[in-house]
Amino acid sequence: MYDTKLLAPPTPHKTEIRPPAARAVGAVKRYGSGDTAVTALDSVSVDIAAAHFTAIMGPSGSGKSTLMHCLAGLDTLTSGHIFLGDVELSKLSDRKLTRVRREQVGFVFQSFNLLPTLTALENIVLPLTLAGRKPDAAWLDSVVSTVGLGSRLKHRPSELSGGQQQRVAVARALASRPDVIFADEPTGNLDSRAGAEILSFMATAVRDFGQTVVMVTHDPAAAAHADSVLFLADGRMVDSMSTPTAARVLDHMKSLGV
Amino acid sequence: MRRLTLKSLWARKRRAVGASIAVIIGVAFLAATMVLGDAMTKGIDALFVEGYSGTDVEVRNSTQLSGEAFAPAAIDASIAEVVATVAGVTDVRPIAEGTAQLVDADGKGIGGNGPPTIGTTWIDFDRNPYVLTEGRAPTGPGEVVIDTGTADTGDLAVGTVTQVRTPDVHDMTIVGLAELRSGSEMGGVTFTWFDAATARELLLGDDGSVTIIDIGVADGYDVEAVRAEVSALLPPGTEALTGAELSDEALQQMEDDFLGFFKVFLLAFALIALLVATFSIANTFSIMVAQRTRESALLRAIGASRRQVLASVFVEALLIGVVASAIGLAAGVGLASGLNALMTAAGFGIPSGSMSPSVSTAVTALAVGTVVTIVAAVAPAIRAARVAPLAAMRDVAIDRSGTNWVRAACGVLLTAAGVVSLVFATEIGDAPVSVAALASLATFVGVVLLGPVVARFAAGAIGAPIAALRGTNGKLARRNATRNPRRTAGTASALMIGTAVVALFASLGSSIKHSFTELLDESFGGDLVVRHDGFSGAGLPLEIEGELAALPEVDTVVPLRDSPIIIDGDEDWVLATDMSQLLDIASVGDVNGVFRDAGVNELAVSTRWADDNDIALGSMVSVTFADGQAADLSVVATYTEANLMGDLLMSTETLDPHLSNPTNFLVMLGLADGVSLEAGREAVEAVAGPFGQPLVESSDDYLDAQAAQLDQMLGLVYGLLALAVIIALIGIANTLSLSLYERTRELGLLRAVGQSRRALRATVRWESVIIALFGTVGGLALGTFMCWGLVKAIAVSEGFGTFAPSYATLAIILGVAVVSGVLAAWRPARRASKLDVLEAIATA
Repeated sequence: MYDTKLLAPPTPHKTEIRPPAARAVGAVKRYGSGDTAVTALDSVSVDIAAAHFTAIMGPSGSGKSTLMHCLAGLDTLTSGHIFLGDVELSKLSDRKLTRVRREQVGFVFQSFNLLPTLTALENIVLPLTLAGRKPDAAWLDSVVSTVGLGSRLKHRPSELSGGQQQRVAVARALASRPDVIFADEPTGNLDSRAGAEILSFMATAVRDFGQTVVMVTHDPAAAAHADSVLFLADGRMVDSMSTPTAARVLDHMKSLGV
Repeated sequence: MRRLTLKSLWARKRRAVGASIAVIIGVAFLAATMVLGDAMTKGIDALFVEGYSGTDVEVRNSTQLSGEAFAPAAIDASIAEVVATVAGVTDVRPIAEGTAQLVDADGKGIGGNGPPTIGTTWIDFDRNPYVLTEGRAPTGPGEVVIDTGTADTGDLAVGTVTQVRTPDVHDMTIVGLAELRSGSEMGGVTFTWFDAATARELLLGDDGSVTIIDIGVADGYDVEAVRAEVSALLPPGTEALTGAELSDEALQQMEDDFLGFFKVFLLAFALIALLVATFSIANTFSIMVAQRTRESALLRAIGASRRQVLASVFVEALLIGVVASAIGLAAGVGLASGLNALMTAAGFGIPSGSMSPSVSTAVTALAVGTVVTIVAAVAPAIRAARVAPLAAMRDVAIDRSGTNWVRAACGVLLTAAGVVSLVFATEIGDAPVSVAALASLATFVGVVLLGPVVARFAAGAIGAPIAALRGTNGKLARRNATRNPRRTAGTASALMIGTAVVALFASLGSSIKHSFTELLDESFGGDLVVRHDGFSGAGLPLEIEGELAALPEVDTVVPLRDSPIIIDGDEDWVLATDMSQLLDIASVGDVNGVFRDAGVNELAVSTRWADDNDIALGSMVSVTFADGQAADLSVVATYTEANLMGDLLMSTETLDPHLSNPTNFLVMLGLADGVSLEAGREAVEAVAGPFGQPLVESSDDYLDAQAAQLDQMLGLVYGLLALAVIIALIGIANTLSLSLYERTRELGLLRAVGQSRRALRATVRWESVIIALFGTVGGLALGTFMCWGLVKAIAVSEGFGTFAPSYATLAIILGVAVVSGVLAAWRPARRASKLDVLEAIATA
């Protein structure tokens, strides 16, 4: 009953095929009721491959953000199932969901990713502190150096540029080594150079650390950094593409009539 | 523009309600005190008017001194025959009046804690404003009529035999109950009516005198004309007044003595509550304005003038002010009725008329509430109007404004000046207490000004242990409490004002207790004191002295009587005692002259009083006694310590002839050598019992009783201040709600990256606790410091007073602050934790 079957392409140092990091099975999300009901997700089933950079694309209102929010445990389905690893999210209480978010999921939002009262470093380790865990110093170092923030760790968000703030957000998402990082239009507020930097950090995380990343975007250039692209329209999964380039994604979007 | 203002106000209902609550409570309290004051004045006026309604003209002694005890000076009864000859006089009734305290069914005296316990003559005629509701008039020596209110209080009924203290104890049968024709409550005044002969005998000693002569005027005669004619016939030292004059005078005296003080007392607390409310309102408005910065900037960008932006805040403040003041006024009327019921239940009942506010009260309450709201909104409004167009597209609420140096400088200057002059108050000028009071005020204002300057540091320091102990939640809370110092300071200031006043009173109270204990330890060398509970009831009869002195266990008996007295036109207060024995049992410091042998028409004065009045040993002092008789007294001794015994002392032989019914308010006893306190007390109680079971107390018991009375007073003060503190706490809750609203996206983010609901609630709670502690610690320090300065100044000017704060009480206040912080955070924290994560993040 899977609409799409995506297999992770072999990565340089991971030869075995891992089970999907997250799955949606017959996911339906409906807002409102009766005549005014809006179906945001219409029976979507999808596997998110582990150690893989997946982009979700689609026009406004296609349900791409809703799908991501449901996969991340931020929103609940009307019917269907969401699995994160082998845990079914729809059965969890708020407390357990919070724990899942804290320990298994990382987030990068379009804007307002950081707490203004905390320094960059404190923001990066926030999920760990909330969980009462000590950050792994070696890992933290490599994350910080990957995103290139070394000298700005003591600064407050208000003292950082937009690109730097997003780098802190990516570092935070990586710091707790979550099963999946969800990024919602992470480059939407950035100029193209800063945006490209953020995307390459995420790609590096997938390639070098075997991290799983799911990114929602409407920018073909951004999608081109991913290993594969899922296309949504009107709440349905309509297509997918492996090893995308900006030109092919753009063409495909046009062919979808967007 | 006006429509825009209304719409934006409507769109922010919750915030408007938050701002209103502070105004409502402040105005409610103000209105309640004014309504209560009005109602009491009206009620008491009505009572006096009715009480004197039967009196056309009254003749009395022209010397009328205020006294704690109800013991008016007497006049010669034969005057009645003289005035009866005046044309138009229908009847003449000589009336004997004095103090008579009834004993209730349990053997305890009724009343005596303020309102007089009146014993008087029952007159059976139709001018009597009192009517019998049950039973009959008293007709013999063993019969009394009492008022229905007292009968209820004391569980007494017609047919009951009870005791009446005049102060001699008499067994009396209650033969009737009476009340005012209107049935009005009499506010704790008790009445015992005797027949004419009994009243004269018991109250005045049957010496041919009466207290007043009540004169009826025939219809068709002008009361004033009759009064004038009567007046012309009167011997010197007596006067005639009409009933209207008497009720006016009584009301005036009530206003001067008690009611005026009571009103000012309540008003002071209402003003404190309003001040606190002003802070809360100002804070709410500044947040509301800050949250609208974007909107204001947009308005400015599309062409709204600075004045229009300012005006929109004004209109908003005006609307909130008027509506909230109106609600506050209505609430105040309810509160006044509640307070009145409470005071009646506590035995401080005051007759009160209707609880509808007078026009002036309504206008004052509405105007004050509205003006306070507008004033509180001015500063933030001006700040809002200063927003440069397009300067406001920031989405994070961190106060980036630097320190306001003018404010900081003023704050430092005022605080420094205040602290220095408070520390050295006793060395500046002749009036250290006034200096200390002014210095306290300056320190207070200075600290409030300094609030925002020190808030970051102070809240950080207070938050440090919480951050250390409570982990991430505590750390986040601390950061949030310090992120906007001006807001934190504004919120905390409201609480600080309330707490400072509480701490001031608490420390003053414990210092007074401590000082009094010290004084008694130092100056009272006796073993026991005998007195009646209550200060305005019947005292102890003189015969008790002889019976106590006859006890083998008792060595020294020193009676104390008191009376108002006029010296150089001013009323003063004199104590009369056994001068030859007083010093055996009490210390009055260093004595000069012949104290022990001071005899008739001789006076001992304190050195302080002597200095103030340019009197020296051997001077003559002209006095007028309570009965109107003048005398020249020679000063035969001076003493340095006036705190226990007052400034003026004389022998009982000097005072007694001038009292219509001399009684002791206290008898001090020294026990014989080798007699234990317990044995002595038993022996004394056995003898004193028949005199109406007075209290027999050791100095410790006496202190405890005085402390209990002080505690009762403090309880009332705390109750009134609680209102200010509640307003401050509502302010904290309000500020928190508004701040959290600003931080919606942050909360969403925190939840998204894994903060649990419970942890979020804890974070909000700790933030609230930090703010509450900031205000409370500041208030406690400020209040205690002010108390220290004041007590020190009082010690110098009055020679009495030791600073002794009650650390236990201060610790309790601190504990209450923590709990209140948690309570204030309750709703905001719940609401914040229930935020939908996605919606919160999506909030623009």
